[in-house]
Amino acid sequence: MRRSLLRAAAKEVRGSRVLVALAVAGVALGVGSVLSIQLLNQGALGTFAGTVRAVSGDADLSVLPWAGGLDEAIHPEVLATPGVAWAVPLWRAEVSLDGRPGEGLELVGTDLLAASHAAAWTLPSGRLGEALASPGWVAVTPELARERGWTEGSRIGVSLGSRRATLTVGALFDLRKVAPLASRRLAVMDLAQAQGLLGVRGRIHQIDVGARPGMAAPDLARALEARLGERARVATPEQRTVEAEGLLAAFRLNLTALSLVSVLVGGFLVHASVRASLARRREELGVLRAVGASRGQVLRLVLAEAAALGAAGTVAGIPLGWLAARANLAAVSGTLRTVYLLEGIDRVTLGPGVLVLAIAVGVGGAVAGAALPALDTSREDPRALLSSLAVEERSRASAGRLLAAGAAALLLGAAVRALTPGIPASAFALALGVLAAVPLAAPAALAALARLPRPARLGARWGLRTMGARPSGASVAAGALAVAVSMLVGVTVMVGSFRGTVERWLDATLRADVYLSTPSWRRARSEAVLSPAVLARLRAEPGLASLDVLRQVQARAAGRRISVSGIDAALPGGEGRVELADGDPRAAMRALAEGAALVSEPLARKAGLGRGATLVLRGAAGDLALPVAGVYRDYGAEAGAALVDLATFARAFGEGPPSNAALRLVPGVDPDRAVARLRADLAGEALQVRSNRTLRGEVLAIFEQTFAVTRLLQAMGLVIAAAGVTLSLLVLARERRAELALYRALGASRPALARLFVGRGLALGLVGLALGAGGGAALAAVLVRSVNPAFFGWTLGVHVPWVLLASQAGAILAAAALASVHPALVASRTPVRELSRDAL
Amino acid sequence: MDPPVLAFRGVSRDYRSAGGAVLHALRGASGEVAAGEVVAVTGRSGSGKSTLLHLAAGIDTPSAGEVLLLGRPLAALPDGERTRLRRDHVGLVFQFFHLLPHLTALENALVPALVAGDPGEAAEARARALLASVGLGDRAGDPVDGLSGGELQRIALCRALLRRPRLLLADEPTGNLDEETGRVVLELMLALARREGSAVLFVTHSAELARAADAVWTMHSGVLERAA
Repeated sequence: MRRSLLRAAAKEVRGSRVLVALAVAGVALGVGSVLSIQLLNQGALGTFAGTVRAVSGDADLSVLPWAGGLDEAIHPEVLATPGVAWAVPLWRAEVSLDGRPGEGLELVGTDLLAASHAAAWTLPSGRLGEALASPGWVAVTPELARERGWTEGSRIGVSLGSRRATLTVGALFDLRKVAPLASRRLAVMDLAQAQGLLGVRGRIHQIDVGARPGMAAPDLARALEARLGERARVATPEQRTVEAEGLLAAFRLNLTALSLVSVLVGGFLVHASVRASLARRREELGVLRAVGASRGQVLRLVLAEAAALGAAGTVAGIPLGWLAARANLAAVSGTLRTVYLLEGIDRVTLGPGVLVLAIAVGVGGAVAGAALPALDTSREDPRALLSSLAVEERSRASAGRLLAAGAAALLLGAAVRALTPGIPASAFALALGVLAAVPLAAPAALAALARLPRPARLGARWGLRTMGARPSGASVAAGALAVAVSMLVGVTVMVGSFRGTVERWLDATLRADVYLSTPSWRRARSEAVLSPAVLARLRAEPGLASLDVLRQVQARAAGRRISVSGIDAALPGGEGRVELADGDPRAAMRALAEGAALVSEPLARKAGLGRGATLVLRGAAGDLALPVAGVYRDYGAEAGAALVDLATFARAFGEGPPSNAALRLVPGVDPDRAVARLRADLAGEALQVRSNRTLRGEVLAIFEQTFAVTRLLQAMGLVIAAAGVTLSLLVLARERRAELALYRALGASRPALARLFVGRGLALGLVGLALGAGGGAALAAVLVRSVNPAFFGWTLGVHVPWVLLASQAGAILAAAALASVHPALVASRTPVRELSRDAL
Repeated sequence: MDPPVLAFRGVSRDYRSAGGAVLHALRGASGEVAAGEVVAVTGRSGSGKSTLLHLAAGIDTPSAGEVLLLGRPLAALPDGERTRLRRDHVGLVFQFFHLLPHLTALENALVPALVAGDPGEAAEARARALLASVGLGDRAGDPVDGLSGGELQRIALCRALLRRPRLLLADEPTGNLDEETGRVVLELMLALARREGSAVLFVTHSAELARAADAVWTMHSGVLERAA
């Protein structure tokens, strides 16, 4: 029995190659979407953890600064703490490679003598003396060396801040043997040399600590905390990875949610495919039931076939996901490095965990997609199975109920959000409500097409109308398309709104004419400072109206890592540099000059800080309580940011040179000429001198990079939906063979039948578009008004990119029409003799 | 002199099974149906009655001989031409009605006009008149899935006659109806066809119903025997 059922299933596959291929492609794309995101998410955390492992090796604990760096004098104190077996000081910064904008080395300066205790790596034997004695000696990974064409002895120009240095490749050693996911850009040199060439003598960033045998890490951490007081914090490698996870939580969650939509749409495809298979095999299943097959046997048979379909899709989806992840590696890596200040991803690796996830998503999604038609079929009695009308009758009868269920899902999502406004995840409940309501409304929307006026001729309009009269499985495809369109519209409007808001914010706050920073600033921040010579030259610039400078450091406040900037609050006209959520900017600047702080919207939302609250900033010398003078708009730091006067900054983090400068020129002075002059005069310094316009363009380019993955996921969702249209129409061509044969018997030409099917494709496209537009608008509202403020803390204005949306709508309709071409050809070839079957 | 509406000239139709065996469904059949003539085809199941009808409609093509519709050899025509000939001059009635369940009675009757692209108002008026003539004038707007078998076949009859076909082909038009309903439907069909001037070729198992025809053709193992 089982063998004959398997033979029947195999025959079904052979007879429905296109249908099966489309369903498999749907699953593959869904699996690919999820897998690519998971690979990137895991890559982000894996690289961070791998780099921690490669640098800190077997260290039990790391002593870290609350902000900026640590005084090296702390090292002997750490060593003297009971229970400490060894302690290795590290100097760390990302330095820029000369002539390669945006690229750098993650340079680690360490006590090479002591490092053998701590790090899991050791220098090649006999190289220690050379490493200590040769100026600029650095060890790099073989992978980076290969990529850059470096060999031992190659000289590398680097910069940190405006300071340049030349390093010499002294050794190649493979840190990835120790930690496979470690950044390939890691480079190691002697601590003293690193400090001397690029940093500040006596300043370090980390001390890795090993515990004596028998000393538990938590106990040692407590001992170190007691000894060091407020001067440093102590963390295990695991805690540091968890912190990175926390930083990326919202970013990862959003990408995961978006990728799951592809799974949802892929599940719809499997649903349609299984329906098609069942429609064709109703009689066979009816006979099986009539001769005694149980409902359970029929259910298992159908679900097993769906699982096989899912397995095939998973096999195809795994390489697809890997390729998609590779294609987006640079964009995600860029976002991680510039927005989250974490290590970029070099590679993605397929571990057993993600493979299990891919199988679960592919096979599970396929079985879930098949569950409903399989259950329906198994519940039917043999007589109903032998009659082809039963499915149709039920699908028509349930349109109203499904619409009501959709409305209920929407209301439930809204209720969850309204009742739990303080829980960020409830914003997703509302989005989920919208996404559930959209496909559930599809049968009713298709039914509405039946009310269109009757056309005079058999063709596309008749196809449009009859699609509504007899939606059958087409409502599933329309629903899938509507979900994909909802996501497309919702995310397009959200990204458009974000972009519009950022552009307006840049207009409002980028007031200077010329901006100066250094190539390494984006990653190194407080380490990437401008030299006194640069500042002196800036002050001497002809036509200078005012010079504004900025210092920035990553610091801890309100239980999180935030970005703290120091500006000259007393700068005339300086209130234009910030845009407040409410209140008077002049008054806020006066308060800033008197020692208050401004907090960014994300920080205000996440930490519950508002005007009048107190921001407790963990500075180099302990906590500093600052009154909050206002909340300002900021779209650069998701984790949160604070703005203080330079004097307050110095009080918290010590004196130091600025990392950025902005020049306002007197009216009439050409900024481009000023840029050219400064570049020429400061050619010896590592600087980025940009006009207002150029900086603005660069900020927007980073913005676009951040949403690159989003666009890929949107595209994958749409491809799945277009495949759904083809699949659904093929199903229709199969289910309606008798109807088509009747038209042929009554004298309809083949082109007329082809037009009929193009009309049906357009019907699907139009319903998908109409529902998707409505759902997308609702989703955009949820994303802009709820998800963004709740997860990222940003307030966005609504900016609808109408032209882009119109072009997308045109593309969707064209895709629906194109997707109907093959089914139309299949339908037009229906032989009249099909009518001999009693199948109408 | 006008050619007969339908003529079979030594028509044979063979089917080859998957195993290679040849089934002779029709062997050298010849016969003519004149304008306005009603011919019944009788015979046992599998005797070739439906094959004869399919060949007449141009749905199937003969293995040998020729089928002439209004004097034109169907097998020699390209598919598009054959389809147009069927659309414009042939009406079809099926045993299982073959109505579209998602359409109303009126819409079903109008499908041939839709296929041919006939002007809407005139076609609708004609469909309504036909429905009224078979006693279904007040059911025109009803969906067909709630109607009885006799009502469905009457609607199918209206559909077949909508475009005033020169030939009406009916394959067991009463085969799915009870005896009394079948008799009424056949009477209606013949009366309407005669009123419209259509020739009729209908297949039936019933010798009694066949007596209503002007001529009876009997099929026996693919061989057509004509009786007056």
